Amino acid sequence: MSENTSVPYSLVRFKRFFFNLLRNKKSAAGLTLLSIFVFIAVAGPLLTPYTPLGSVVSAQLNPPSWIVYFTGPLGWSQNAEFTGIKASSITGATLTTTSIGGDSASFSAASGASGGTVEVQKFVTWTYPGPAKRFVTSLSITPGPTILGQTVIATVYLDRFVGGVRDARWNIFDKTIDSNSTFEVNLDSISGDLRVRLGLSTSNIDPAQLIFSRQADYAYALELTLPPSANIDFSLQNFKLQIRGSTWGWLGTDQAGHDILTQLIYGARLSLIVGLLATFIGVGLGLVVGLIAGYLGRIVDEVLMRFTDMMLVIPGLPLLIVLVNVLGPSLTNIILVLGFLGWMGFARVVRSQVLSLRERPFIEAAKASGAGTGYITLRHILPNVVSLTYVNLALSVPAAIVGEAALSFLGLGDQTSVTWGRMLELARESGGSATNLFWWWVIPPGIGIALVSLSFILIGFSLDELFNPRLRRRR
Amino acid sequence: MKRVLNTVLLIVFVITLNFIIFELMPGTQASISNLVQNPRVFDPTQVARLLKLYNFCKEVTITGPHSYNCVPTTIWDRFSAYFVNMITFNFGDSFQTNKPVLHDMIQTGRLVNTLTLLGVATTVALLIGTLLGVVAAAKRGSIFDSGSVTLSLITFSLPTFWMGLLFIMIFANRLQLFPSGGVTPAYWAIKTPDLLGQFLTRVQYLFLPALTLTLFFYGGNLLLTRATMTEALSEDYINTARAKGLPERTVLFKHALKNASLPLVTNAALSFGGLLGGAIITETVFNWDGLGFWLFNAIGWKDYPVMQAMFFIIALCVIAANFISDIFYGILDPRIKYE
Repeated sequence: MSENTSVPYSLVRFKRFFFNLLRNKKSAAGLTLLSIFVFIAVAGPLLTPYTPLGSVVSAQLNPPSWIVYFTGPLGWSQNAEFTGIKASSITGATLTTTSIGGDSASFSAASGASGGTVEVQKFVTWTYPGPAKRFVTSLSITPGPTILGQTVIATVYLDRFVGGVRDARWNIFDKTIDSNSTFEVNLDSISGDLRVRLGLSTSNIDPAQLIFSRQADYAYALELTLPPSANIDFSLQNFKLQIRGSTWGWLGTDQAGHDILTQLIYGARLSLIVGLLATFIGVGLGLVVGLIAGYLGRIVDEVLMRFTDMMLVIPGLPLLIVLVNVLGPSLTNIILVLGFLGWMGFARVVRSQVLSLRERPFIEAAKASGAGTGYITLRHILPNVVSLTYVNLALSVPAAIVGEAALSFLGLGDQTSVTWGRMLELARESGGSATNLFWWWVIPPGIGIALVSLSFILIGFSLDELFNPRLRRRR
Repeated sequence: MKRVLNTVLLIVFVITLNFIIFELMPGTQASISNLVQNPRVFDPTQVARLLKLYNFCKEVTITGPHSYNCVPTTIWDRFSAYFVNMITFNFGDSFQTNKPVLHDMIQTGRLVNTLTLLGVATTVALLIGTLLGVVAAAKRGSIFDSGSVTLSLITFSLPTFWMGLLFIMIFANRLQLFPSGGVTPAYWAIKTPDLLGQFLTRVQYLFLPALTLTLFFYGGNLLLTRATMTEALSEDYINTARAKGLPERTVLFKHALKNASLPLVTNAALSFGGLLGGAIITETVFNWDGLGFWLFNAIGWKDYPVMQAMFFIIALCVIAANFISDIFYGILDPRIKYE
């Protein structure tokens, strides 16, 4: 380490200071960790296509996909989607396709004298050894005006093919259409109607588990049965079926099927923001109070330090709880309260430093040259306590992050946003008095909190060593 | 004498702060007057009692089921009444149970539950922390030293509630060794086992929360003991003791630790507030029906009387702890005298 341990003001000195910091193993590790988290926080929306509480990505409470490497693949599945739309005529009808592709198709169907049936299908090959957990379907169909006065029966099936031969068929929906307005079908395998239709009303098997239970080819089919001698146009949109497997992604899903990785990424952002802002407020207040008390001395000092001591004695968490409860649990309030309750220790440190600085010759010299109180404080004292500020900034952030997490965990977090503490609160809440905790939901936020705290502690300690050569020698 | 004055001043400060928070903040006043103006929720006697307790009105006449006449009071009237209420432990009725707060605190066993948890965890943490700290300082630079320092740094920086959740997941849900929460099993209401059975079950229920709180607390204690012991071990009188041929154990515990224990006592008192914070969270994680869990439930209910009382009492405990440690300080180190 070089001899220059002074506080960086100019760019050159900052560069030298920064390199000093990087040369220390501890701070290099801390800075690396921290920069990873800062990157995650800044680039959050680019790293994940989902939103933390908006997008339902898979079935509820799915463990991560890599669990198969530990438990063996048996019993597990992943999401799958039906693709390859195809329209065809089955009996007694001619089908003219005008456009087809993706999730939509437009066609006209003409039936013969005894009626006819046309079919639109999408396919999937179910390759997972375990059954699916849930599926959701959607389709919206708009018949042409020639339907008026006639009735068409629309039926939605799920077909299973083994070796190219259909060996099972489940009728999941049917409806008679007789008007040319759009109608939509949105089915969720969790719904009661579907269970009743498939004879599962008394069991607790999800229809998805029943249907997608073996490795085979499946078709999602819409059949339209036309009356005799009809010629009707159809426009089919949004013809989709998503199968939700029993595992998902890197970190699984929560109670509502939200992506936990996404929550973790967005949580990093909020936790860092809360930690940093609260610390800036706290350190700023501490600096001001310490400078004023230390430099002005006498009555001001006495009053300010008496107040500081009182605030130090008052138990922190109960005061936080009470204040946030009274002010209302919004992110802004939490930051403000954490900041306004985090200045006391630092104010004391600054004050004692100022007291010792005040007696130094260079302050006397400045005074003798006619410098005013404000000038001396800003130009001579402040620069000499800045190093303390850096150390304290680094060491206070973990406390603020953990404080926010604790508040969130107690149900006093911002209910509209996802921080790591709130993830833990939700995990515990859904576990119903903690008898049903899910490791993929509980472990990541805690590790996040611990690692961010660790990075700041490492940086703080090595800053302390850098500024206090005495400490360096002792270690 | 100065200490006593300081302590009294602190209590006044806490009451004032409590008053400012609960009476002057816009949220509280709105919600209290809301409650008062909503006699459908509270029967008229309750309303009258609340108004009297908070001294919102000089005189209240209930004119109907949904209306009342009130002669408003000034802030000073309210403050003095509030002050007297706090000093006399007259905290009013809990919104949750409509019973006096003090009754809900003591008769329901909450106070005893919290004291049990806190007492066990603090004792174990102090013993383990001090012992390991002494050994770490004695074997400075060894694997044991760096290992115990690292471990205590880790447990120190991990969030308490997360550790609690992990313990529940591992020891209660997976291994089924301990219950996941509560103070006593539900079946005790029907059939209580014999004393030994009771004791063993209670220990089983106490184990995980006490472990969590211990881990939360022992790390700081270990680090501090190690630091002060390192300093004490470099003093001349240690060399003298060793030169006299005293056994190492006597040197460490009788000579070094005794002299190094001053900061430990102060720290124990200073960290008492933090420990209570940890207890609130631990009790919540483990549904341990103590004061912390009660405070947590009061949050959901917006039960202001309970919150006020809890905040006041916790602050009072911390002030008392500081006061006692000051006295201890004088006993441990006769050179310090308070005028």
